[in-house]
Amino acid sequence: MNVRALSRSALLAVVLGLGAASAGLASSNDDCLTCHGDKDLKSGAGASMFVDAEKFAASIHGQAEIACVDCHADLAKVKDFPHAEKLKPVDCSACHDQEAAQLRASVHLQPHRAENPIVVTCADCHGTHDIRKKDDSESSVFSINIPDTCNKCHLERVKIRNGSGFVQQYLQSAHFKALRKAGLSMSANCVTCHGGHDVKAARDPQSRVSRKSIIETCGRCHVGIKKDYLEGVHGKDYLKGIKDVPVCTDCHSEHGILSPTDPGSVVYATRVADVCSRCHDDERLGRQYGFLTSRLKTYAASYHGTASKFGETRVANCASCHGFHDIRTSSDPKSPIYAANLAATCGKCHPGAGVNFAKGKIHVVSAKTESQGSHVAKLIYIVIIGGLISVFLLFIASDLFYRIRTRWTKA
Amino acid sequence: MDEGLIPSPLIRDDEVFLRMNFAERLQHILLIVTFTTLILTGLPLVLYEMKIFKALFAFEKAFYIRGIVHRVAAVLMIANILWHIAYTIFTPRGRSNFRELMPGWKDAKDAFQVFWHNIGLTGFLYKRGLFKAFFEKHPYWLFKNEPEFGRYNFIEKFEYIGVAWGSLVMIASGFFMWNVELSLRLFPLWVHDIFIIIHGYEAILAFLTIIIWHMYNVHLNPEVFPMSKVWLNGKITGHELRTLHPLEYKKIAAERAARAAARK
Repeated sequence: MNVRALSRSALLAVVLGLGAASAGLASSNDDCLTCHGDKDLKSGAGASMFVDAEKFAASIHGQAEIACVDCHADLAKVKDFPHAEKLKPVDCSACHDQEAAQLRASVHLQPHRAENPIVVTCADCHGTHDIRKKDDSESSVFSINIPDTCNKCHLERVKIRNGSGFVQQYLQSAHFKALRKAGLSMSANCVTCHGGHDVKAARDPQSRVSRKSIIETCGRCHVGIKKDYLEGVHGKDYLKGIKDVPVCTDCHSEHGILSPTDPGSVVYATRVADVCSRCHDDERLGRQYGFLTSRLKTYAASYHGTASKFGETRVANCASCHGFHDIRTSSDPKSPIYAANLAATCGKCHPGAGVNFAKGKIHVVSAKTESQGSHVAKLIYIVIIGGLISVFLLFIASDLFYRIRTRWTKA
Repeated sequence: MDEGLIPSPLIRDDEVFLRMNFAERLQHILLIVTFTTLILTGLPLVLYEMKIFKALFAFEKAFYIRGIVHRVAAVLMIANILWHIAYTIFTPRGRSNFRELMPGWKDAKDAFQVFWHNIGLTGFLYKRGLFKAFFEKHPYWLFKNEPEFGRYNFIEKFEYIGVAWGSLVMIASGFFMWNVELSLRLFPLWVHDIFIIIHGYEAILAFLTIIIWHMYNVHLNPEVFPMSKVWLNGKITGHELRTLHPLEYKKIAAERAARAAARK
């Protein structure tokens, strides 16, 4: 038991002790339920004032025998019933002070939109009288139920910067499928990545999904991948604080993450080249960080690239040769494209691939300087094709000319 | 069209001769089918930048099936070629065709002559009284008449040799593309890259040659438009023989004359 939990249980004991001590003075739950147990009890405004005693009894607060007036504290000393209609809002921070402090600093309690601030309170996520522990499968904050709880607001009511469809993508994601279809409660739900009480906007550097923290956040579950990533060129540059280097979400997308074997995934075999080429066909980035560009262009010109473009998934894509999370430079002996490793790398698809696989260029930017053989072959063919077709057309033209000419003279 | 030779009394104009027998027609049809299939399943890879081809491979396995179809067509085409070679070697008609198809110096001269005959530039100059003395001394340069062709003219010979050469190149380069592992055991990658270049460009050359040259000569040419039917019925009339293949016509006439003389 850690210090925080210890202090919390101590606090609970104090509250319970106080409750027991004051039992003789204040109203008991039964007193409250004489009125609030009535299903038809309505406020002046017409809202139901019914409290389901059974649900409360099953809730974590009910089980801990916390009295109504412990939360509705301004009723503790009231003797005349019915009490005044307007009560003070329940202040959970009396017990849950750390969570309340986190919430105050979070995006949910910051008036982040001047013109229509939406303030989220404890009850919006946790409910009121029926609050359950977060590892209770009935709880609104149980991992499998979290998406529904967040989506009460985030599907439509809340307009986030990337549009409401951005959050909706999660419902198609591999994480959501694992959570709901497979019932894997450890799969990533909203809170897993964004945090619970301390949720912050993604652009806030303090956020768990900011560039600064995302590797750590994803890496909490994907431990092996995080390790691979940090060993590769991307990870090493990430640790140096380079802003342009891709993090998890740059390649895999955010809410709509799918398995790489899903044709809809942005890193599906036939689509991954588009992801890599966002940077690796970018001349500006190439100049700035000294890497070669025109990678997609040159890949597309190869059989691998052409076939991939036409939907063939068995041909090599970027990741087949370069790896993915731990991509390394060709000068790194651990890289699959390190000269001595090429035979093994090509051999994954071409059994018995020998050293000849390395005797030539894969990404040919300029055939003239990098692949003279192909360049000369192309030139010869262009001359032959151009020459022959010209002769054909000349002959056809002369034949038609003759026919027109003789028709004139006959006429 | 010139009326050509004076008709021989031994050959009627409406007499029917066999220009392509059944085996030859079947070889030609097989060539059309396999060639078209190969072009359709291969060209998208050469012209991979053209968006329209993307639509051809709409469903998931389409590209995989393309590869199978391309290889099946290739094997069929090779089988057809082997049949043609056997036919050429082992039948008297095949051997005779092959001899007739061999190009000679005459074919180059014929092509030259046909071209200038069509243009008619020298005749025009002569009529205008230019270089009169030269043309009277060397009437060849007036290109007054079309050359006389044998069973196969220079166009047909060129196409035949073109098919032979193209097949050789495509089969050799295609074989190594089919067997990448073997190719790269024998050659470095840059040589294999040349095979790919050759296969693609030779295909374009073949495609353009068929589309432009062969289609003009057997379809669009006003002489035969909309189509010469020889490839379907294999028949040619005495009149066509006399105007289009006068040397062959003369040869047949001479043979018949000799036979008639022998009978007497």
